[in-house]
Amino acid sequence: MTPTVPELLLGNFVCLMDPPPPESSGDFLQSRIGVTGMISLLCAQEAERGIAARVWENGAIRDLLRRAAPTYGAAFAEAATGEDTDLSLAATDRANADLRRALIDLHIAVETARDAALDTEIRGLYVRMADARRLDLPPLPAG
Amino acid sequence: MTLQSQLEAYLTRIWETPARVTMIARIPGGASRETYRFDVEVGGETQGLILRRDPVGSLIDTERKLEFAAFRSFHGSGLPVPEGVALEEQGAELERPFFIMGRIDGGKAQSPFTVAPYGEHARAIGEQFYGHLGAIAAADPATLPIAQVADTPAPDACWKRELDYWEGVIDADEEHPQPIVRACIRRLRASPPPAARKLSVVHGDYRTGNFMHDGQGRIIALLDWEMAHIGDPLEDLGWAMEPLWCYGETDRVSGMLPREEAIAIWEAASGLTVDPAAFAWWELFASVKGQAIWTSSAKEFRAGGLKDPVLGLSGWYTARRQDVILADRLAALEALA
Repeated sequence: MTPTVPELLLGNFVCLMDPPPPESSGDFLQSRIGVTGMISLLCAQEAERGIAARVWENGAIRDLLRRAAPTYGAAFAEAATGEDTDLSLAATDRANADLRRALIDLHIAVETARDAALDTEIRGLYVRMADARRLDLPPLPAG
Repeated sequence: MTLQSQLEAYLTRIWETPARVTMIARIPGGASRETYRFDVEVGGETQGLILRRDPVGSLIDTERKLEFAAFRSFHGSGLPVPEGVALEEQGAELERPFFIMGRIDGGKAQSPFTVAPYGEHARAIGEQFYGHLGAIAAADPATLPIAQVADTPAPDACWKRELDYWEGVIDADEEHPQPIVRACIRRLRASPPPAARKLSVVHGDYRTGNFMHDGQGRIIALLDWEMAHIGDPLEDLGWAMEPLWCYGETDRVSGMLPREEAIAIWEAASGLTVDPAAFAWWELFASVKGQAIWTSSAKEFRAGGLKDPVLGLSGWYTARRQDVILADRLAALEALA
């Protein structure tokens, strides 16, 4: 997914290092600092859970592609080859991008074939994928 | 030149009398445009104004003339909408396109990411919020200034124009494949909604956080009309009820009212009835549109040298929340026949 954790944290640094013009101090600057704080907090969650989420998602997509290949074509089995050996966010994201493209192609084929069972399974996978990537903002009181 | 001196030069020129700008301060939010409040002294009188200037990078690419025309369409209509004062599409002394509008003081805009943003005033604000939206839907756009600058689609083309536009945004700005929103778009295309029963002005970003209230239960300004256009009024209703705008709440839409009450208020104010099947389409569309905006945010965050944390947060955290909503909506749809 984009942006990456290094980009977000570098962005925080750049944002705080840049002296604002006089008209952008006060409430605006305070709000900006609050946003950088939220980003830092959420980056901590991503550092803790992000690799596991990606490895799980990549594995789930590979499994689905392999199972679908006999019906929908060997290209999907081909797309499912490999495994996540480099457990960095960047490497697992690169693999994830290729797998997601194959998943999109598979889902289109499934819809075209009116394959209700596999369509329902894919939609269920989407729910779990989105949940695994979820970031939890702590409750913020209304001002 | 400072922004203050640029503004003084501009206002002195167009009003043909010396204008002195004071108290200029940038306002948080309004991520699609730089927004500043300022006072201007002319002929011994002081007036409070708002400047909305195009940013270098933005969540959304919008036409400021449409936003300006929307203010002119509804200011003085009985709705709490500020007055449009001046529009400069070429930037003039301020170097980037901008417009100036009247300032309504004494209120605050609430973040949609706060818990129970309207507290004990949620019901009163909800009644006005959905009543005002119904009034916007009831207006005849052909009689309003916005009709001079906005395209008027055929009633059966509203959905396609919007879906084409926002899918195009994702096509242009996507930097990582998004199977969930792509599946939702295919579902929307496979089951288009019926034609709009009425063409209306669509605010385009009518939601929690885009209006000011006085802290006592009264809405005093409807803001952020930068995505205004003419289309199906159900589009605005779907966007207003998008789950993204009611943090952690499942029993009240927009953090204000139960869903059925909100719809009833809107129907009474608009004179329209909500077709459930059509509205289901527009609700899913609202989530797709949201993801398109967050996709652009991520791209702009990078393109702008990572300097705007609001773009970074929107393109990352908000995009993830939107994916959860989209996946849940998609899973709830009927199985393929």
